[in-house]
Amino acid sequence: MRSVIVLAGVFVALAVCGPLVAPHDPTAINIAQRLSPPGPDWILGTDALGRDILSRLLHGARWSLGLAFLISVIGLCMGTLMGLLAAQGGKLADWIVMRTTDTFLAFPDLVAAVVIAGVLGAGTGSLIFALTVTGWMRYARVVRGIGLSLQTRGYVVQAKLAGLSPLAIARWHYLPALMPSLTVVWTGMFARAILGISALGFLGFGVQPPMPEWGTMLLDARIHMRSTPLQMIWPGLAVVICVLAINLAGDALRDRLAGQEEQA
Amino acid sequence: MRVILSLLLRAAVVLAGTALATFTLLWHAPGDPALAIALARFRSVVPDAVIEQVRVEAGFDAGFWPAFLSWLGPILLGDFGQSSVTGRDVWPELVTAMSYTFPLALSGLAIGVALSIPLALLATRHPGGWLDRFAVALASIGVAIPQFWLGLLLILLFAVQLGWLPAMGARTPTHLILPALTLGLTVSASLTRILRSGILEARGRPFLPAFRRRGVSEAHLTRNHIAPHAAIPVVTVFGLELAFLLEGVVMVEVIFARPGLGIFLVGAIEARDFPKVQAVVILAALLFVTVNLLIDLLYQVIDPRIGDRDA
Amino acid sequence: MLTVDGISVARGRTDVLRDISFTLAPGRTLAVVGESGAGKSTLIAAVLGLVALSKGDITWMNRPVRHCRPALVMQEPRSAFNPALTLHRSVMEPLRAGRLPGDPVRLTRLCDGLELLPDLLERRPSEVSIGQAQRIGILRALIATPPLVLFDEPLSALDAVTQKHTARLIADLQREEGFAALIVTHDLGYAAAYADEIAVLQAGQIAEMGPAQDFVTSPKTAYGLTLREAAFALGALEHVA
Ligand SMILES: Nc1ncnc2c1ncn2[C@@H]1O[C@H](COP(=O)(O)OP(=O)(O)OP(=O)(O)O)[C@@H](O)[C@H]1O
Ligand SMILES: [Mg+2]
Repeated sequence: MRSVIVLAGVFVALAVCGPLVAPHDPTAINIAQRLSPPGPDWILGTDALGRDILSRLLHGARWSLGLAFLISVIGLCMGTLMGLLAAQGGKLADWIVMRTTDTFLAFPDLVAAVVIAGVLGAGTGSLIFALTVTGWMRYARVVRGIGLSLQTRGYVVQAKLAGLSPLAIARWHYLPALMPSLTVVWTGMFARAILGISALGFLGFGVQPPMPEWGTMLLDARIHMRSTPLQMIWPGLAVVICVLAINLAGDALRDRLAGQEEQA
Repeated sequence: MRVILSLLLRAAVVLAGTALATFTLLWHAPGDPALAIALARFRSVVPDAVIEQVRVEAGFDAGFWPAFLSWLGPILLGDFGQSSVTGRDVWPELVTAMSYTFPLALSGLAIGVALSIPLALLATRHPGGWLDRFAVALASIGVAIPQFWLGLLLILLFAVQLGWLPAMGARTPTHLILPALTLGLTVSASLTRILRSGILEARGRPFLPAFRRRGVSEAHLTRNHIAPHAAIPVVTVFGLELAFLLEGVVMVEVIFARPGLGIFLVGAIEARDFPKVQAVVILAALLFVTVNLLIDLLYQVIDPRIGDRDA
Repeated sequence: MLTVDGISVARGRTDVLRDISFTLAPGRTLAVVGESGAGKSTLIAAVLGLVALSKGDITWMNRPVRHCRPALVMQEPRSAFNPALTLHRSVMEPLRAGRLPGDPVRLTRLCDGLELLPDLLERRPSEVSIGQAQRIGILRALIATPPLVLFDEPLSALDAVTQKHTARLIADLQREEGFAALIVTHDLGYAAAYADEIAVLQAGQIAEMGPAQDFVTSPKTAYGLTLREAAFALGALEHVA
């Protein structure tokens, strides 16, 4: 749990501070210096419009990581609410929520996100909408599963007998029990959101230029693959490193939880 | 029998839900759908009266639910309509696109399976050994790489730098190699992870040490106790992998300019050619619901106790 | 007044409880005895509305039992507490849920009577013994002065001396506050000493029921007799006879 929190902190810090330490304006066009190789002025070189790639990468962290964080947290809240509704709201609510979940899961989420974002028109708003609408189901399933098993647990029975309100029961008895598993799912969905944002950006359906977003940067870089192949490496590497770090933290957390369960 | 009926019912509900979600999305898409259709039909500036006529014809003026039903009718009969841009039937174009996508998806899956099974078996021979750690590291990196970036890197290496393989288009069979490799590598990464943990879990089950103490051979254990248990996650995974494949296909086709379903879909979205978009969505949903239904039925065969995956 | 009117409870295909009827007035104690698996815990769950009745009806003062906020002392003491919270939080939960003011004097008295040191409550459920957890469960059940308390083997994990003290505390409080108590127990001596009435549950049915004195002096069924003899053999009834 701690490693995940630390990692999330590092990413938030990167998204907040990245732009502050960037040496140049990420959108400043400088045609005279276009496609420069790495050098003392431009540590990673410049792109086709002469913009500093390092600065764009650092600013891009705000888009790629910040948006992914936002999307995964919205999904977390949505999914948790749906899962609690399914577990606590009676048979009918359960059936409706679970069939909705099935419907949304029936489709590969990235393809669904492409369709949604594309149909609604490119832009950050539809990007967020598309990735959250397709990103809440796993939380809902986990919450429902644990929620149903909690319902017959002694302390939940006691709380109900005492007349504690459903909201207070959710807050005091469900959330602490859900937290570990939700964190594991959240790491997966955070990584997924980073990949989704870059994929949509690459297809041109995501964050719009001139905003520096890693997927959009790759779309720009692709055209100049022959002359400046390195330009294509950096944004992709940034995505891989972030996703890898999150996945590793998530795996470690999951293994720890599994170990604890075995002990208990 | 009751389980099968409830599974069928569920599949039908999910399909209806997908259709409803798709229509809701198109209904709320920015821009006037009647205008889009009118423009597509007459290819010039159209007077408002014509737009209104199209609106009435398509049932758009009647409100959401009637419009939904009149939209759903032809689709239920298997009629996907005409492209709103070219006016040509959607279905033949869809078939052509699929003829490019299926070879890619199948060869990607084949490469993925061919790489991951040996890797998972080697890795789990000595869990925690260097080979295992190497496989885990490889697979972890593999699932973290965006497919489109891996595709770009392969193009950079094999097409641009080395010039060994063609990258763009689908003219010759060699055009299939790089896209299939891209897809296969990412599929193998996720498949290796799942297979590895499935095998380890099957092996770690509590009664196995007791069998071993009684001198049952490892080969017998693997064949009769470990493999069947590992089969359940594999079946589950197959459904997930299919989703993964379709996602991969979309991205990979765009990268390699391969005129399959992915390009078909992305092109249709960019052209706001909604009949094409909905055709792909509905077809894919049908595919997934069918596969998931088959998987659920297969569960019944493997282990009838799994009545309901929710429960 | 708790009224249990001809209830049956089905679990799977079999009836776990069949045609149970009895009443229990405020201030009175009913002890339910019977062998393991007879359906005693199920009876408590039925009274609390935690399992569905296939027949019959249960009310408290002509209203659903849950309206009176009955309290329950669970058979498995640790499971009654959220492992993530301190015991103090859990103990105070009935007060918070009912928006009742806590009475420190009463809390101290309960803790003293149950032989619980106050700092014990600052721990988590996994950090106390089963017997301590059982007494904290009793504390939690009684803290909000409920009108109806259901005890599922409340003394099973306690030593003889603590058992006696705890039983006396429950009886004293009952005399002062007048709650109705339904006590499931294996301890016939305890039942005979503290209950007004005793019911013998056998395979889901009431085999015998009557005032505690009659029951001990002249059991009507063979089962009651066996139980009584077993209790005598163990010396459990000496203080009654
Ligand atoms: N969840 C359940 N599902 C099916 N049967 C159950 C369930 N819980 C209890 N039973 C059955 O109901 C019967 C009564 O169980 P109950 O727990 O009420 O017994 P008890 O009298 O409290 O026993 P003990 O003294 O051991 O606590 C038993 O035969 C038991 O197997
Ligand atoms: Mg019991």
